Order: sequence, then structure tokens, then C-alpha cells
Amino acid sequence: MTTEAVKKDVAGLAEATCTREQEHEKKRAAALAMGGVRKLEARRAKGELNARERIALLLDPGTFRESGLFVTSAVPADRDKTPADGKITGTGEVDGRRASVVAYDFTVKGSSSSPISNKKMSHFKELVVKTGQPLVYLCESTGVRMPDAMGGTGMGSANGKTRFLRQRESPWVSAAFGYCFGSAAWHTMASDFAVFRKGAVLAVSSPNLVSRATGQQVDAQELGGWKMHSEVTGFADAVADSDEEAIELIRRFLSYLPSHNGQTPPLAPVPSGSGDRAEEIKNIVPAERTKTYDVRKVIDIVVDTGSVFPIKARYGKSLVTSLARIGGQSVGIVANNPMFKGGALDGAACDKATSFLVLCDSYNIPVVMLVDQPGFLIGLEAERSKVAGKIINWMNALSLVTVPKIAVTMRKNYGQALINMGGGGTADATAGWWSSEVSFMDPTSAVSVVHGIDKETDPEMYELRLAEMNKGTTAYDVAQVFGFEQVIDPAETREFILGALKDHYRARTNGVGEHLLRTWPTSF
Amino acid sequence: MAETIAADMGANVWKILVAPGDHVEEDDVFMILEAMKMEIPVTAEEAGTVLSVDVAEGDVVASGQALIQFESE
Repeated sequence: MTTEAVKKDVAGLAEATCTREQEHEKKRAAALAMGGVRKLEARRAKGELNARERIALLLDPGTFRESGLFVTSAVPADRDKTPADGKITGTGEVDGRRASVVAYDFTVKGSSSSPISNKKMSHFKELVVKTGQPLVYLCESTGVRMPDAMGGTGMGSANGKTRFLRQRESPWVSAAFGYCFGSAAWHTMASDFAVFRKGAVLAVSSPNLVSRATGQQVDAQELGGWKMHSEVTGFADAVADSDEEAIELIRRFLSYLPSHNGQTPPLAPVPSGSGDRAEEIKNIVPAERTKTYDVRKVIDIVVDTGSVFPIKARYGKSLVTSLARIGGQSVGIVANNPMFKGGALDGAACDKATSFLVLCDSYNIPVVMLVDQPGFLIGLEAERSKVAGKIINWMNALSLVTVPKIAVTMRKNYGQALINMGGGGTADATAGWWSSEVSFMDPTSAVSVVHGIDKETDPEMYELRLAEMNKGTTAYDVAQVFGFEQVIDPAETREFILGALKDHYRARTNGVGEHLLRTWPTSF
Repeated sequence: MAETIAADMGANVWKILVAPGDHVEEDDVFMILEAMKMEIPVTAEEAGTVLSVDVAEGDVVASGQALIQFESE
């Protein structure tokens, strides 16, 4: 140290010792000031919340207990410029239940990750496993802090053994707000639920680095934008118009989940009017199996009023996956949607189903399948997208699920997809609408396959053979061999599910399953 | 804004219900495709005008193939 430096240090000490209270307040104010007034105001002007505002919205008022406020960068030159080292962390309550939060403060060095801020994050990863509470990431980061992580000592000092270890003891959820590179991307990918605010970008590398490395100009939204992740990769479980909506979606998502895998999700009051519109289902679903409709209208009527919470609504749209409540109890709805691709299940729909089964099984949420499907999508594209493997991943997941599985066949139900959708003994409780049709394939296809004739060349024989193929495909035929426990009026769907939930409640373990899927991937 | 409405799966074009110059409202049906023994409607996500119809009844279309050029309001 130079003499000048020592003098300055001593002068600083003298100033600081005026009173303990004053010094503490000064340090606290400096940490709470985040990246400074100018940066904070620029965000406000863009309509973006800052990290502390986001925490305030997420947690119940007055419950935030901060941990690591006085943390700064380990690099001496950065100490005054790194309040909380760019990651604001702590605990609090969401709807009266404990939760931990990591909020990336983009105003402090782009919320880049450093060894100290990683230490803060690790603290909460361990805490939520021990105590059984959700961990919420409010993500926005430029990635690893440079040049701090450069070189052998930078990389050699990494402590990554358990950094991305997920065994789903308790839920991880993430909101991707702006640029999400580095750990902001990784934590979002490792989460059980990820909401993307419109405008967000999540990618392995920034567009700038990609352009430099490959010589190609890439657009940030094209590279990893919210639209791409909601429609192409399916990584976005939900999309929000604003910061406020993203945080509200996290709070809502958590309301369907238990705090940890050792308990069942909280019960909610049943809104009045739930189930009152049961007869309307008959007007929504056309009798003719070739006609389409939007299954989401059926789900709205079957579940508690207003309780539908869609997951990956913009991805693999021929299959709907939604959290919802029936009789106040959280359920996971898996339903074919003939509105898209005629309800044919493609590779995206398979991945979506598997991912949703993992979520439900890990957190003790019974699965309800509403079935009306023409089979798996066949053809060149489907095979090249590895659909055969995806079908069996889904089957294996379904076979490992230990929460109650309830399957209601609404209309047509064909082929291997029938088994993936809870048929063939894979569900605990089964029913078929009295109008349902079940077979190995659509009878019109079967005539061509078995007899090698079609409607145009031999209409008379075709009609005879079709009548033959149509025989024995009713709900009563399935029920005759106990393939359906009940044959029901479509209006009785909700009542059937309510009864099945009671029948199959795992009383011996207080509704807690075995979680055999808890180490399955966090994205597919 | 001009946009292309494309097929989201391989299919046969079964019935075309609009012609160039037609005005459509949100949820109106442009055409019905046939695949997997299902009649699959291609619908307008927003109101607008049909600029051109790029396929004919009976055509086989691939996933991603342009069906309609459309000017939304």
C-alpha cells in the first residue's frame, strides 16, 4: 500500500466511526441503491420493474427477509460498484407459504455471475431442499462476469457439482424477463415452470458473440426470443405481456403446487356454479368423428369455474396440458385438441405430455386425461422428428406415474395413442362417453388396409366392409371386457372424475406418490 | 400486415371457402384440409382480406406450404 492509500484508508475509518448507526445506514443505503438512479430510471421509462420491485410483487407484503445484502464482488476494484453483487436473494411468503427468491439485478454489472453471487444462489438451492419450499428465479443476466471468470483459476474455481442438480424435492420456477444468458438461462431451463415476458431472449450465447464467432448476423429474437421458445422449443410454459403479469403467473402456478413433494397441493374453495354447465358439453363436441372442435371449451366446463392454468399453450397444440382444480383439488389435465392437426399427436405433443406427467407425478397432482384422438401423426416429418422414441418415452413416463390417473374417452380413440392416453390398463380409473368409438384404427382406413379396396373403385363392397369394421367399436364393447369401468353420459364427466379422485386418493401415504420421475429431464 | 397462412401438417385440400378479395372475420374458415381422417379447418386468427389462394381443391400440401396470402387489419 502506498502512503497515500494508507492515509485515505485511515481518513475513511475516521469518517465511518462517527456512529455505528450512521455507518450501518450508509452501507445499507448504498446496497439498496442497486446500480444507481440513472440505470433504475431508464428501466422505469421502459416500463420494466427493477429486481427489488419484482420481489415486492412476488412476496406477500412485508415478508421479504433478505440474505446477503452486504455482499459485493471479490474483486477489490469492483467493491463499490457491486451492491449485493447483482443478485438479490432471500426468503418470504407467497400466499402465506414460505418461498425463497433469487432476483437478478440487471443494473449491477448486467447481473453477471461471479463466485460470490454464485455462493448466494447455492445457499438457497440447499435451503429449499432441506426445508421444502419453492425457489423462484427472477431472471435477467448477461451471463458469466468477465473478465473475472477468465483463465484457469477462474474456471478451476467453479463449484458446479450440485449447481444444476434437480431431484424435484421442491419446485423451481423461473421468469425470464429480458436477456437471459449464463445462469439465468440455465436456471430457467432447470425449472419446473418458466414464464417468458414478451421481449425476453434466452440463449446459450448472446447474438453479439454468435455473430463474432460464426460471422453471421443473428437477430436476438430469432436466436432465442420468447416467441421462438413458446412456439418452437416449447421451453416457455407461459408467456406474459408485462413484468407484473409474469409475476402474477408465478404466484398462480405455485397455488396449484405443494411447497414440497412430501405433501399434497393446497385445497381451494370450489367456486359457485362449477359443474352447472355440464349439459353444454353435448353441443360442443360434434357427433361425427371427422368434425373438429376446441377441447378447451370442454375443459372449462368440467373443471372448477375459472381454474384452468394452461401449460405450454402455444406448443404442440394438438394436445392441451393444463393445471386446474376439480372439487378444489389440483389436477393435471391432458386432453387431445381436434382443433389443431385434427388432434393427431406429433413429436411436440409427445414431449409436452411427458414433461407434464413429470410435473404432476413429482408434486402429487392427479392426472386427468380427456381423450378424442385419431392416432399419432404419421408420415415422413413425424418419423424424422423421432416420434417413435418420443411415444415410448411418454409410455414409460405414464407407466412410472404413481399419482392417480383418470382417463375419460370422449369420442374416438385409436391405436397406440389410445394406450398413451390412459387406455389399455394404464389408468387407474376409466370411463367412456356412451357415444365413444374405440378401435385399432379408423374403420375407413381399416377397410383399405385389410381388404385393399376404397370407396371410389368398389363402392358397394366398401360400404359392406365398412359396416363390418364399424361393428364392435362402441363404448359398451370396451366396457364388456372391463376396458371402461363406466359408460357415461357426457354431462356426467365431472361427477365421474370427482368420484374417481375419491376412490384413488392414496390414503396410506396421505396422497403422496413415489415420484419415480423426479430425476427425469427438466426439458424435452 | 401481409402474411402467409401455411399448412401446419401434410394434408389434402378438401374444400376452399374463400376467394381473393374476400373479407373475413376472426375465426372464419379459409379452407378445410383433410388428414388423419379428420376435417381440419384453417381459420383466420384476425379479421382481414384474402389476397390470394395458392392451392386448389384436391391438392396435396406439405407441412409449412403456403395456402393463403392474407392482409390482416
